[in-house]
Amino acid sequence: MSLTTHTTTSGFILPSIHSAPPFFTQQPNPTTQSIATDQWIHLIQAYARHNRLFVLRVEDAEISGNDWDEVLRNERINRKLLPMHLTQILAKMVFSNVATYDPPKQTRSVLLYWRLPDEWAEVLHSWAVSTAQLNTILTFYDITDPPVKSELSGIPVSLLRKAINILVKSGRAQLIGVADGEGVRLFSGGR
Amino acid sequence: MGGKQSIPKITSQDRAILDLKLQRDKLRQYQKKIQVILDREGVIAKTHLAAGQKDRAIVALRRRKYQQSLLLKTDGQLETLEQLVSTIEFSLVEVSVLQGLKQGNDILKEIHKEMNIDAVERLLEETHEAREYQREIGEMLSNSLTTDEKDSVQEELRQLQADIDMEPATDIILPMAPITHPIKQRNTESASGEEGVKVPITA
Repeated sequence: MSLTTHTTTSGFILPSIHSAPPFFTQQPNPTTQSIATDQWIHLIQAYARHNRLFVLRVEDAEISGNDWDEVLRNERINRKLLPMHLTQILAKMVFSNVATYDPPKQTRSVLLYWRLPDEWAEVLHSWAVSTAQLNTILTFYDITDPPVKSELSGIPVSLLRKAINILVKSGRAQLIGVADGEGVRLFSGGR
Repeated sequence: MGGKQSIPKITSQDRAILDLKLQRDKLRQYQKKIQVILDREGVIAKTHLAAGQKDRAIVALRRRKYQQSLLLKTDGQLETLEQLVSTIEFSLVEVSVLQGLKQGNDILKEIHKEMNIDAVERLLEETHEAREYQREIGEMLSNSLTTDEKDSVQEELRQLQADIDMEPATDIILPMAPITHPIKQRNTESASGEEGVKVPITA
């Protein structure tokens, strides 16, 4: 069977390696396995960026019918990624800092960093500048679910919090806490 | 941490605004929830109707109506909240405009203090005096010439006048204006020759 790229319904182009059956099984040779894992990480990140997915769970490999079906299984060659294998890929992703376990202290669900928190911080800041929301008090909901869709629409609060903390450290944001929840105020800041 | 200084303190005002906004968010989320229920009840009513259970479909629709009325109510509340938030934010803008005006006014006052009318008058007077003084010095200096010097000045004046008187005596031969149309080359050569003769005399 020839290996070709495949365009999914969402317009994402799966690489040709995704049509190779061995890609879905763990390789006994550690070098081969490491290369395959890197390919998986690359694929997962690209797919997450394309579909704006922030979370990947081991569960996604166990059951079908979720956002990750197109990547984690390939019906055309009748293969799917086994949960055990995914767990190892996730571990390597966390190790190389392109993902983090979220919530922490478990290994079944990760928050994907197809943008690093530093990059998200920049995105957040430039969004606030371009929509003239500096010096205004924003709730997290204002940022994750703005009336006009933005780059930050749907960003998980845990990731948003990390980005905000980075801005706080460089003096460009200020967290305000009240009994009911939290808000943030962004500043143009030095730099 | 130089940037820290520019960060304003969190005032109770800020907290109040945040509280309001959080309330607004809650309302929005509540609306979302109701919308989901609305859609769900609609589907339920449809399936009941399809199954021939008319009365159950009616119940579902009644629930749906109730949720709809809730949605309308929250719309009204949301509007009020958002108006309040906008009003507060606008008032903050007004406050900052007022502060800007105040600062500008203070600066203007300070500048005026440095530049009161008395000072200006005094300054002008001083300038006037200084000019007067300068004039006096000038006069004194011009008057301080000795009689000998005055004589020599007069003598010089006479000499100059004599020179001027003498000058018309010397014949100045002015070049003649050409009476013919200029012809190429030969004419220009002769003209330059004539001038060459006259230059030493005028000097």
